[in-house]
Amino acid sequence: MSRRGLLTAGAGAAAGAWLLTACGSGGNADKAAATAAATGKAAAGGTLRIARPPASSAETLDPASSLSAYEYLGALYSRLVRRGSDGKPAADLATSWEMSDEAKTWTFTLRDGVTFHNGQAFTSADAAYTLTHILDPATKSPQAGVLSTFVAASGISTPDKNTLVVKLKAAHAEFPTLLMHYNCYVIAKDSAKTTATKGIGTGPFKLASFTPAGPGKVVANTDYYGGKPVLDAIAFSSIAETQSRINALLSQQVDLISQTNLDSAGVKTVQASSTATVVEVKNAQWYTLPMLCTAAPFTDSKVRQAFKLAYDPAQVIKLAVQGHGTIAHDNPVPPDDPYRLDYTVSPDPEKAKALLKKAGHDKLTLPLYTSDYDSVLTPLALAMKDSVAHAGITLNIQNAPSDSYYTKIWMQKPLMTSYWYVGRPIDQLLSEIFHSGSAYNESKWSNPTFDGLIASARKETDDAKRKQLYQDAQKLMVDQDGTIMPFFASRMIGISKKVVNYHESGFEFDYLKIGLSA
Amino acid sequence: MSRYIARRLLLALVTIWLASLGVFLAVQALPGDVTTQILGQNATRANVAALRAELGLDESPWRRYLDWMSGMLHGDFGSSLVNHASVGAEVGLRLRNTLLLAGVTVVLGVSLALVLGVVAGLYRDRWPDLAISSLSLVGMSMPEFVIATVLVLLFSIDIPLFPAVVTAGPDARIGDLLPAIWLPSIALTVVMAAYIIRMLRTSVIDVMASEFVTTARLKGISPARVVLRHALPSALLPTLNVIAMNIAWLVGGVVVVESVFNYPGVGLLTIDAVHNRDLPVIQTIAVLGAATYVLCNLAADLAAMALNPRLRTNRRTA
Repeated sequence: MSRRGLLTAGAGAAAGAWLLTACGSGGNADKAAATAAATGKAAAGGTLRIARPPASSAETLDPASSLSAYEYLGALYSRLVRRGSDGKPAADLATSWEMSDEAKTWTFTLRDGVTFHNGQAFTSADAAYTLTHILDPATKSPQAGVLSTFVAASGISTPDKNTLVVKLKAAHAEFPTLLMHYNCYVIAKDSAKTTATKGIGTGPFKLASFTPAGPGKVVANTDYYGGKPVLDAIAFSSIAETQSRINALLSQQVDLISQTNLDSAGVKTVQASSTATVVEVKNAQWYTLPMLCTAAPFTDSKVRQAFKLAYDPAQVIKLAVQGHGTIAHDNPVPPDDPYRLDYTVSPDPEKAKALLKKAGHDKLTLPLYTSDYDSVLTPLALAMKDSVAHAGITLNIQNAPSDSYYTKIWMQKPLMTSYWYVGRPIDQLLSEIFHSGSAYNESKWSNPTFDGLIASARKETDDAKRKQLYQDAQKLMVDQDGTIMPFFASRMIGISKKVVNYHESGFEFDYLKIGLSA
Repeated sequence: MSRYIARRLLLALVTIWLASLGVFLAVQALPGDVTTQILGQNATRANVAALRAELGLDESPWRRYLDWMSGMLHGDFGSSLVNHASVGAEVGLRLRNTLLLAGVTVVLGVSLALVLGVVAGLYRDRWPDLAISSLSLVGMSMPEFVIATVLVLLFSIDIPLFPAVVTAGPDARIGDLLPAIWLPSIALTVVMAAYIIRMLRTSVIDVMASEFVTTARLKGISPARVVLRHALPSALLPTLNVIAMNIAWLVGGVVVVESVFNYPGVGLLTIDAVHNRDLPVIQTIAVLGAATYVLCNLAADLAAMALNPRLRTNRRTA
């Protein structure tokens, strides 16, 4: 989801610092290569201190809300199913699940003996309540749009306290993947009103204190069904400025800075320190340039195709993220997703020129909008400008204010830079960002064949055939859609050298193992 | 005298009202509103509509401005559009933190600047003056975030004497804030002192060359007494307004320094409120800022009168 960046007084200074380092980093880019997190034996106990950007004083601990405080959720709550290391749903509060009635009915068997932080036993009633809470329009959950296509409150039943049955409105063979989303953490029955501040879940940590956009703390839950965490507690503080968050890390006031993808200047600063280091979370976010298919010149599919052929991803990746990324080949399905299609179209500026000529453009000049919303967006814009020049395309970079980038630029300007965090399972990814009419369809691409492939895939209960359908959909996207997608980038995390066994996916850690060295 | 003060206070009210109106219009001109700002990429049409209804934003902005104004006249600054908390309480808490920082800085910075300014003036063109004047020029020409960053690098990271940022929230105890106050206070002192020193130096030089100081010297009064009792009150006069402006600047919230140190004062709240288009908060801060400037100015003028009998006489005859 989006990072709710702040209007920053020092944004200009940060951009200046980036230019300086970008210009000087030609030869020694690889010196900045980040390390993996330290592993080893952690000392028992201790408090991990995390600095996070303050979202807004409207933030809440209700996992279903669009204003939820991400960093707390994984510590406090559990889901029915979580994302396994193979990208497929893995057991969490549900120990097993099966479909029947041609993928129209799903039955989840729930874990026994789990209690909420307040001592109340977890039962199927809580699971059912969580789903209806997400679907409730008053909750305004971003996940409601995805779920409500398949689930209605009337279709949810609880035959006994360990069984949840969901009768779908339309067949969906990948339904459990939709429950892996962080909006789907399980809350206790009838706690919709209090969960925003109390944060009572079944997760590895219990809430000790929480202030929206301010400090907070969670402490180890010794009754957690997965075992006892190594840490005693995690303390959060909110620091608005990126540079101040880095300063807090370097002065050892915090051990980790979250939601902060360090730019190359930041990486160098942190790596120069004797107490902190940078950990590279590979393929953590994907960077795109959506071409608005409803606006000239991108209404013409030849122009879109020309843009995809015009740039050299290897060069863009080197310039924009100093090589810390993986070429995406205009396909947003992450490299580790079992359904990813291995299909590449090589860059061909000459063919791009020819296509543009056919579309009636001898020379094409366009504004490309970007902002400081994320540290990679502007470097990406500069790298693209450079790369497409060979195909006779001139991009004029327009730097827009970051605090209104998503209201005034996104989905409104024909060509802009954008990014997403990975973590959506394939069906949600394709339907949320590429399906006709979806609220997050940032290129406004609309293709009935693509929509049809997604619909057929959901109904298909044969795994191999379903995979084939999702892959056909990916090929169609690469060839025709409105998304230039150069690369998946690493997220560069600043972390204290004292932290051991750090593993992050999304905004969740391996909460049981993460600890501080003795 | 009292008529003069009454007239100034009336003008102050008009100034403050104009400030709140100006800020209101400026915020209307900004793109987006509180719902789109909070939701960001999640600002889908349905989400925005639902949040607008929840936050009660269906009324026209002018209507809300008038409501806020009439509330303020009764001492109620309204509630935040973002979290419905009382603006008075929120701004009050931040103001306490900013006043703490401003207080330390004024005591530290102003007294240091006064001493250095007088010394520079008395030792004109000799080494103490050259050292003080050139250092203050350096301080004056460096942006405050550079000074702040250098201080953090030296005294939090290289030599860990002071915290680099405040990790506590706005409701932190004063005892918890105190260790974190020194670096921002030093950064602000460097920026502020330069102006006061240079102003005071010039006027000390002028006054020391004047006839009444020569007379006092010829009468055999000790040099210390000449400076403190005779020269300083006159030399301070032109400096008073500079000091007053600096105090107003400190109390109004020093946005850049507060954000470098994550200091939970009025400045950080201002950034947040502008980002979220949280009108009641922005307007309350604007009124507070305008009132501080007006009152500090008035105080400086009154202090000038107290120090200089000629001004008092002129006012009476005018």
